[in-house]
Amino acid sequence: MSPSSAGRAAEPILRIEGLTKRFGGLTAVDRVTLAFAPRRLHAIIGPNGAGKTTLFNLISGFLPSDEGRVFFAGQEISRLRPHRISRLGISRTLQVKSVFQQLTVSENLWITAQAKRGVMNPFRSTSSYRDTCEKVERVLEQLELTRLADRQAGTLSYGDVALLEIGMAIAADPRLLLLDEPICGMSPAETERTVVKIRELAQTIDIVIIEHDMEVVFEIADDITVMAQGAILASGSPKEIAANEEVREAYLGRPEDEDYTEEPARA
Amino acid sequence: MIARTTIERGLLWGTGAFLLSVPWLIPALADRFWVNVIAEILIWSLFASSVNLLFGYVGLLSFGQALFFGFGMYGVAIGVEKLGLGFWPALGLGVAAPVAMAFVAGVFAVRLTWHYFAIITVVFSLIFYFLALTMKPLTGGDDGISFTLPSTFRFGASEWGFAQEAFQYLFILFTVAACLYAMRRLLGSPLGKAFMAIRDNDVRASLIGLNVYWLRLIAFVIAGFLAGLSGALFAFFGRYASATYMFYHVSGEAVVWTIVGGAGTLLGPLVGTSLFIVIREVVSTHWQHHSLIVGAVAILIVIYAPRGVVGLWRDLLDRWSAPKS
Ligand SMILES: Nc1ncnc2c1ncn2[C@@H]1O[C@H](COP(=O)(O)OP(=O)(O)OP(=O)(O)O)[C@@H](O)[C@H]1O
Ligand SMILES: [Mg+2]
Repeated sequence: MSPSSAGRAAEPILRIEGLTKRFGGLTAVDRVTLAFAPRRLHAIIGPNGAGKTTLFNLISGFLPSDEGRVFFAGQEISRLRPHRISRLGISRTLQVKSVFQQLTVSENLWITAQAKRGVMNPFRSTSSYRDTCEKVERVLEQLELTRLADRQAGTLSYGDVALLEIGMAIAADPRLLLLDEPICGMSPAETERTVVKIRELAQTIDIVIIEHDMEVVFEIADDITVMAQGAILASGSPKEIAANEEVREAYLGRPEDEDYTEEPARA
Repeated sequence: MIARTTIERGLLWGTGAFLLSVPWLIPALADRFWVNVIAEILIWSLFASSVNLLFGYVGLLSFGQALFFGFGMYGVAIGVEKLGLGFWPALGLGVAAPVAMAFVAGVFAVRLTWHYFAIITVVFSLIFYFLALTMKPLTGGDDGISFTLPSTFRFGASEWGFAQEAFQYLFILFTVAACLYAMRRLLGSPLGKAFMAIRDNDVRASLIGLNVYWLRLIAFVIAGFLAGLSGALFAFFGRYASATYMFYHVSGEAVVWTIVGGAGTLLGPLVGTSLFIVIREVVSTHWQHHSLIVGAVAILIVIYAPRGVVGLWRDLLDRWSAPKS
């Protein structure tokens, strides 16, 4: 388990040990132990209320955990505040999309890209930060948001806000990207485009994605973790998960749950 | 069609030219007491700008800015009267005292947001209001402290100071203009964008790596500086300091001026302050219940122009100059 120098290449980008979070009597995350290997696209699935978003909240320091530890690239981050964790290189999107409403799309990206590099200068104009501005241009192009660069974020369509969320997450140059239902609310065309983008991003950034759309999950994920009632039900390759009896019983094989009718177990 | 920015630039130059010529234009055209009214408008709009920086750009509604205004006034008055300081050291004290106070108050206040923040700012200003009332030997209590004006510049035999009306006016104008210019630079800087990000979404701001607490504290101290400087100017302008200016009633007026003029716009506070002080000066000579008109105007604008007079103006111009499709 200890990160020996020989095993450094294979050292998990994110390692979670016995992580637990209770809300009153409800155990939202229940002794979760996980390791995400680098250079793979991980998906977390599970029914509503399984604790997926809460797990992200614990990793990103957004909520304090009751028990357990989190290591990012070997460094313990369990007790750090959100902005410290984000500066170490973990970016996330929120399930409830939230951007800076009154700033323009490019200002949203600019402040996200600059946040880690220092924002204390009160006199220098933002347009004179060449590196950051170039980064913004690149992200705008990458996500095909250039045409919306000067629009106030509060006036965007839901799908475009979701894209901007992803853009902000990558503008920070993260090493690990946590995406919480990134395509939720997108049209089929937008979904298709976004899935392609996420795949491209996964070439260079480690990604963990929470997603309900099984078609998408089984299309893009290298590894899948299934959560139910706060605990981990199963973890493995898409093939293994699709074949797992327990998972099919508890989750995939419930045709009355319309969210999951496109279950791949049938395919 | 002329773009909004072109019209606004023209208007800005026009206003600037007018303000510069006030000491000569007004006595030639109208009652010269208007020179001092305009000087007062400038001082109060600087004060309102401190509310605007916090509320319009960082999302913190402070009802306690009068505390720093009062510290600015007392810094100057105590400096001149009790410590025998000259103009510049007294001005320095009138700025340093509120900035230090803003840092101390801010350490506690910016932990909170929304009504909790508003309440703690009121509490702070009330504490010091009553302290100032009771510490009579230092503050003069109810009566305040009057002082004799020191001169600002002295070259050989010639002296320049607030005793000369034109000098006083221009000194105030340049100070306020310099602060607004600095604020404009600030708003286009990384720090300004970080402030606005926090205003729009503080949760998200901390997720992208901004230290929200620290940034709010910086904003609070800068706002304390603006409020304190306006208080220091007002002390020199009135040649006295008094605890009554630390009452939260004074803070509340600045909030109203800012919101009516347009919070989150650089010149909103100037517009709002001008509107209300002009109404006050014109109406109060004829009718003692002028505050009724002030209240009615405030309510109408808040209902029909939630982004204030400046916001309304921009919407109208944008609609008017938008390409018809
Ligand atoms: N801040 C909170 N306070 C109290 N209970 C919470 C809080 N956040 C989440 N919960 C509860 O914890 C459980 C897990 O919620 P969570 O949002 O993590 O589920 P999820 O797997 O993301 O579900 P979904 O697929 O609907 O997004 C739910 O029962 C939820 O009501
Ligand atoms: Mg969720």
